[in-house]
Amino acid sequence: MMSIPIIAQAKIYTSIEQAQKILFPNKQLSKTPIIITDDLQETMRRASSIRHPFQGDRIWKTADGSWLIVDEVVGKHEMITYAVGISPNGSVLGVEILEYVESYGYEVAEAQWRKQFIGKSATDPIKLNQDIQNIGGATLSCKHLSDGVKRVTVLFEAALKAK
Amino acid sequence: MTTRCQALLGTFVEISLDQDDDISVIDDAFDTIKQVQDLMSFHNPLSELSAINQQLHLTPITIHPWTSQILKIAQKIHKQSNGLFNCGIGHRLVAAGLLPKHLDLSQYQFGGIEDIAFITPELISSSKPLCLDLGGIAKGFAVDRAVEVLLLNGVKSGCVNAGGDLRAFGSSSRPVHIRNPTSPSELIEIGNIQNGAIATSSLYFSKRAHKHSHIINPLAKSESDIHADFVESFTIVADQCVYADALTKVFALAKNHDHPCFKHFSAQAIRIDA
Repeated sequence: MMSIPIIAQAKIYTSIEQAQKILFPNKQLSKTPIIITDDLQETMRRASSIRHPFQGDRIWKTADGSWLIVDEVVGKHEMITYAVGISPNGSVLGVEILEYVESYGYEVAEAQWRKQFIGKSATDPIKLNQDIQNIGGATLSCKHLSDGVKRVTVLFEAALKAK
Repeated sequence: MTTRCQALLGTFVEISLDQDDDISVIDDAFDTIKQVQDLMSFHNPLSELSAINQQLHLTPITIHPWTSQILKIAQKIHKQSNGLFNCGIGHRLVAAGLLPKHLDLSQYQFGGIEDIAFITPELISSSKPLCLDLGGIAKGFAVDRAVEVLLLNGVKSGCVNAGGDLRAFGSSSRPVHIRNPTSPSELIEIGNIQNGAIATSSLYFSKRAHKHSHIINPLAKSESDIHADFVESFTIVADQCVYADALTKVFALAKNHDHPCFKHFSAQAIRIDA
């Protein structure tokens, strides 16, 4: 019954194009990159406590003044790429997860755990970054994601609203 | 196959459809889960659960049919588990800093789920103040409601997974992996699931975060017994996710595969030792 362990996990849910259709069905989006000044970066960092710098090149706008922003949060144990839809008045219309990568660096650092790879070759069934469905197990916290959404709403207030 | 993911119920919820159905039904399923969250969140002071915790000992409250349903299931499991499952442990989680503090705990002697009386199916009362937390059952319940919505919309087969509380429906059978409790990034394939639900309780993530155990023993006689401590993981397979979710707590506390409660709910217990 026990099989050889495989390593969790990278999941790709939707592409940016699909997320655009989910958050803004039947709307045209035009790419509207923003230059993120040091000041703006600092404002977002303070409001959200996320240190990882925001990239301003994944921002789209609809004709009626709604926005779609793609960002990622990098935690100690995971990286999450997500899309946020924001209405012209700044309310969050929806948040869709695009990718979830669970880091394994923490366990890799432990020698005992690393040992199991010794002598394994590329043909052995240990797969990093494999797309694995249906994992039972304790709840994964999504606190990081709410920090991420917070920083996107701060970006809207500070830089997008006036555009 | 289409899989989407949103952050709900304090975790990541994945919804997969096996065929190319109209994917807007996934929005309906996410909305349903959101509705369960709005009714049953301990964190949200405006949820129906918060109203119950604040007022039920003072006045009867009319509740949503879903809240009624989950409270009845919780009472049933409480009875069958001889009290090992009890949602009336919210104050223990608040005291440990695992839930937000909405009221002054020291003023109250809290009752349990057994103290809720149904005046009508949707009107309840309690003689004792309650601090209910549905964290041990609501995710499973929400998964079941989402599956219902997908089935009602004609989806033939798929899967809803709320942070490991998952239910598969339809004809396809899918592999299920459980984390290795000693090395949680390692997955162990335990078999395939078809038309069924599975949930797991373990402490590896709370230990990693150096938090108190969120598995509370409602029958604890001393302070040191309140937070159950263990290194294994406890998995339950059942027809519906609400039972899988709730019964993992009974299993983690009883540590007994053959607890009569599992047979009563047609559930199977799987322990992974560390």
